[in-house]
Amino acid sequence: MTAFLTGVGLTPFGRQPGRDSLDWQCTAAGMALDDAGLGPDRVGAVIAGYSTVANHLMPANLAAERLGIRPDVAFGMSVGGATGLAMVAQAVALVRSAAAEHVLVVAGENRASGQARTTSTTVLAQVGHAAYEVPLGGNVPAYYALLASRYLWSHGLDDGALAALPVQMREHAVGTAGAHFREPITVADVLASRPVAEPLRLLDCCPVSDGGAAFVISRAPVSERSLQIAGVGQAHRHQHLSELDPDDTGASRAAGIALGEAGMDLGGVHVWGIYDSFSITVAMIVEELGLAPPGCAGAYAQAGAFQADGRYPLNTHGGLLSYGHSGVAGGMAHLAEVAGQLRGERGVAQVRNCEAGYVHADGGVLSAHVGVVLRKASRS
Amino acid sequence: MSRTQGDWTQGCARLLIAVCADCGNNWYLPKDRCPRCGSARQSSVQPSGEGRCVAVTLLHVTGEPGGAPLSLALVRLDEGPVVMGRVDGDLAPGDPARVHLLPSGTGTTLLPSFSRKAVT
Repeated sequence: MTAFLTGVGLTPFGRQPGRDSLDWQCTAAGMALDDAGLGPDRVGAVIAGYSTVANHLMPANLAAERLGIRPDVAFGMSVGGATGLAMVAQAVALVRSAAAEHVLVVAGENRASGQARTTSTTVLAQVGHAAYEVPLGGNVPAYYALLASRYLWSHGLDDGALAALPVQMREHAVGTAGAHFREPITVADVLASRPVAEPLRLLDCCPVSDGGAAFVISRAPVSERSLQIAGVGQAHRHQHLSELDPDDTGASRAAGIALGEAGMDLGGVHVWGIYDSFSITVAMIVEELGLAPPGCAGAYAQAGAFQADGRYPLNTHGGLLSYGHSGVAGGMAHLAEVAGQLRGERGVAQVRNCEAGYVHADGGVLSAHVGVVLRKASRS
Repeated sequence: MSRTQGDWTQGCARLLIAVCADCGNNWYLPKDRCPRCGSARQSSVQPSGEGRCVAVTLLHVTGEPGGAPLSLALVRLDEGPVVMGRVDGDLAPGDPARVHLLPSGTGTTLLPSFSRKAVT
């Protein structure tokens, strides 16, 4: 029993004042339903990701009412940055169990224009331990900077070793309509950008954006553009940084489950969407997955491994680092991009001969991991 | 908010770690059960306070006005658990480190702070 991605909606990301969280969610949801060719009456379940701006108790019901949907099942979810793919995993479970024919998964928020930066920093710092970490004055950039420090030290690398990753993400975003940042950058620009939490600099960190994303997941294809969700996998090994095992964060476990369910290995994947909240995030995940040897993700980026025509086409929309990060929707953009690639609709950025893609998101401090394998439905 | 009775989060000038009474596993952040064997029987012990620094950051952006710059470290204690703390003086990954409980900037709370341990 499988499931299909039948509708994809992704808005432009950026600083775009004038719309609230629900506006972004419903804009994206409308795009996804139109993409699937389905009316609101066909949606049996709605799953909505949290918005740190709206902070509503019942985000799925709120969106359903606005969209004119009266679903049999509706609920919100919170798994940090992994929420988008975790919602997809739950949607797959709902259609596999026949609880719904079509599930709408939606997220969006106006985090850039609707929330003060200090508020965003404080809200996100909750992923640290309230008694043992937050009182020390840390925040999310600090926690990832500690990961970066440990990574650079344990592999004997200098502070510039990760800089090629944000440069590659920006190169992808230059050609992507709707990306938050589209001006090319160089390694020198990354190293000259202001330090945020050393060794991480501003261009090692994703921006905060406004925007939304939505998917329709269905029991059966609705057109030739429908894609098979061939496998999903999750791993949740810790919450706090102090508990993280840098050699086993859960990334590889989640990927192994997803690929195993799809009956594939890494070699069968042609296009990748990997969570890249910071340069260190994507470096650690691609290495734990086995795409690059330990300590070599930056060197692989430098050598072109993650270009659209490289060995591992990665985040070809620009990722969180350059397409942008609008909360839960940020980690959904990777899936939207991989879907666009598998549908052959990415124009000049099109990866050639791609039949299968792998998308991975993490929440917290590499705390929650969800992997999804997408495949052209014709192969099923 | 889960805390260990009698440690720095309670205003006492010490770190405490938990030791599983059944399997001997130990950990730092409060847990109701041993993550290795599932036992609910545990005791608190004071670690040596010494270990090896594995990560350092100098933070330039904080949620609190005047909070930056601020330096944080992760130290793997000799007993095993990893502890996050402030940095006191010069400390780099790889350095032997020792914890001191020092007042925060506002002076109201004691915070674990790691300094480089002189090699004897």
